Amino acid sequence: MSRPVAALPASDLGRAVDRSARVSQVLDLGAGSWELTLECPEIATRARPGEFLQVQVDPAPVPLLRRPFSVCRADPAAGTLGIYFGVTGIGTARLAGLTVGDEVRVLGPLGRGYSLPPGPARALCVAGGLGAAPFPFLARALSAAGATVHWLNGAATAGRLYPVERLGAPVDVTVVTQDGSRGVRGVVTDVLPDLLTAADRVYACGPNPMLAAVAALCASAPTPVALEVSLEAPMGCGFGTCLGCALPVGGPEALALCCRQGPVLAAEAVDWPALLALPPAHVA
Amino acid sequence: MTAAAPATLDPRVDLGRGLVLPNPVGVASGTFGYGFELEQLVDIQRLGAIFSKGTTPRSRPGNRPPRVAETTAGMLNAIGLQNPGVEAVASEYAPRWAGWRVPVVVNVAAEDIPGYVAVVRRLAGVPGVAGVELNISCPNIAHGLDFGQDPQAAARCVEAVRRATPAPLIVKLSPNVTDIGAVAAAVAAAGADAVSVVNTYLGLKVSLALRRPVLPGAGTGGLSGPAIKPLALAAVRRVRQAVSIPVVGVGGIQTAADALEFFVVGADAVQVGTATFRNPAAALEVLDGCLAYAAAQGLRRWTDLRATARPADAPGPTVGPGA
Ligand SMILES: Cc1cc2nc3c(=O)[nH]c(=O)nc-3n(C[C@H](O)[C@H](O)[C@H](O)COP(=O)(O)O)c2cc1C
Ligand code: FES
Repeated sequence: MSRPVAALPASDLGRAVDRSARVSQVLDLGAGSWELTLECPEIATRARPGEFLQVQVDPAPVPLLRRPFSVCRADPAAGTLGIYFGVTGIGTARLAGLTVGDEVRVLGPLGRGYSLPPGPARALCVAGGLGAAPFPFLARALSAAGATVHWLNGAATAGRLYPVERLGAPVDVTVVTQDGSRGVRGVVTDVLPDLLTAADRVYACGPNPMLAAVAALCASAPTPVALEVSLEAPMGCGFGTCLGCALPVGGPEALALCCRQGPVLAAEAVDWPALLALPPAHVA
Repeated sequence: MTAAAPATLDPRVDLGRGLVLPNPVGVASGTFGYGFELEQLVDIQRLGAIFSKGTTPRSRPGNRPPRVAETTAGMLNAIGLQNPGVEAVASEYAPRWAGWRVPVVVNVAAEDIPGYVAVVRRLAGVPGVAGVELNISCPNIAHGLDFGQDPQAAARCVEAVRRATPAPLIVKLSPNVTDIGAVAAAVAAAGADAVSVVNTYLGLKVSLALRRPVLPGAGTGGLSGPAIKPLALAAVRRVRQAVSIPVVGVGGIQTAADALEFFVVGADAVQVGTATFRNPAAALEVLDGCLAYAAAQGLRRWTDLRATARPADAPGPTVGPGA
């Protein structure tokens, strides 16, 4: 292993495989968001919540690089994987244009995922828009492990909410939209303080400003609550050799690799001001 | 055609001063870490060589993000030579390489001649280090002389390094010059055993939405991937005409056919770089394809293929399958 820049644990690639996967379902969830189901039994049995996949969307070298996606669903019995994404560029546009029977190459599982509580716990999942991606898988794993799960599902508008009815796990749901088209009008951090009083641990994924605000609330709660966040970075490889996916973390050695030491990090490891100064991961 | 006895190919390639690669397909610096990263995913021991991440006198944290940006059939990088420094490489990594079948060549970068000399001295005689590849051409470190820009400066650097180490010495050339052949000739005269051609091309990606470059700082980065293959191929041919030492071709190779084009214009060996990011097994697939081609052509040595491309206006039919 090349020495991790920050003293954070790094994933190994011991469970990762690169396979051709058949597209078995293409679901248009509206407002430019999609869920794709891929037949890939080996990765479906190996993946853990919060880990990601590198998907090669085209056999031709445009787009050149694979695209990273959180594992949204992993169904070992059916041998399928699900990914949830918005069309933000040529790669995701290509994926949204796939039809049942098409094949894509999938490398995974990659990265470090969320840590599950050792025993019964009260878990709170905070999703902002497309940041809902890792939570269907996580919510199922949490409830299978005996945790109660509360999902705080936020988005700009109702059309951009992940359809919680697709979860397939017993969860309590609070919905928040900025325009008030569904649920509470506002942002997730408006309702978070109340929910925190009933949570032992928080998992969050969404835009960086939302994550920073969630981190601040979790740290300043009367009883601080442990928070893990899933982050994004532009990636060259996804497996630790290009060193392209550096993320600012605290401490004297100030960068971590999103693909090996992340994408899930403990909130206290992240250098939030430096992270907020970065341009969004997908710039056009 | 009479049935010839099946030729057995000797897959090895001699890069000089005792550095004999088991086969001509290696992986390029900065795309394969120090070899350990991908050990669990691909059979790295089948590679012709691993060219390590650029290694500097002291550890470097690298540039601030973002560091990579995709372009059409290519990518820009501005990693900034993040590496643990030569001491960690020599004392922690090399002992593990010593037990490997695949030769590991340490890519070396520094900001001045004493820096290059310090790194190669520390690596000299260390078991597990098969050779050094001198990166005189990194466009991504803000200060520091770019020795690769000028034949005389390149020669001074290579002479100093040559005096400091008995190790096989490959010099990696910058394509961001007017005449790469002149730089190649200068470093060959200064004692390089071989040259790698080429490093990344200086490039820029601008975000119209942000009205600024996508990469930070100067905004420029090194362009790699299929987009640069025709440029790299022209550079390799030019260098082949300018020097007689071995040439390692690199730039945009994705398939065996790409690699074979580099051989026929004059490369002795090749490196696969960015293609690994798309497909971690890319270099091994390139190798297998080259071996299959060699068998079909009845080659006995790779040098039978080297620089066999005919002039563009040569008359006559095409030669062999895939030609
Ligand atoms: C992310 C990245 C990092 C690189 N780092 C180095 C380096 O440290 N030293 C070096 O000599 N070349 C480095 N290179 C250049 C490659 O070794 C190679 O010369 C170049 O990418 C062209 O080959 P390719 O198109 O097959 O990638 C790097 C390239 C990439 C894409
Ligand atoms: S994406 Fe290449 S090191 Fe993380």
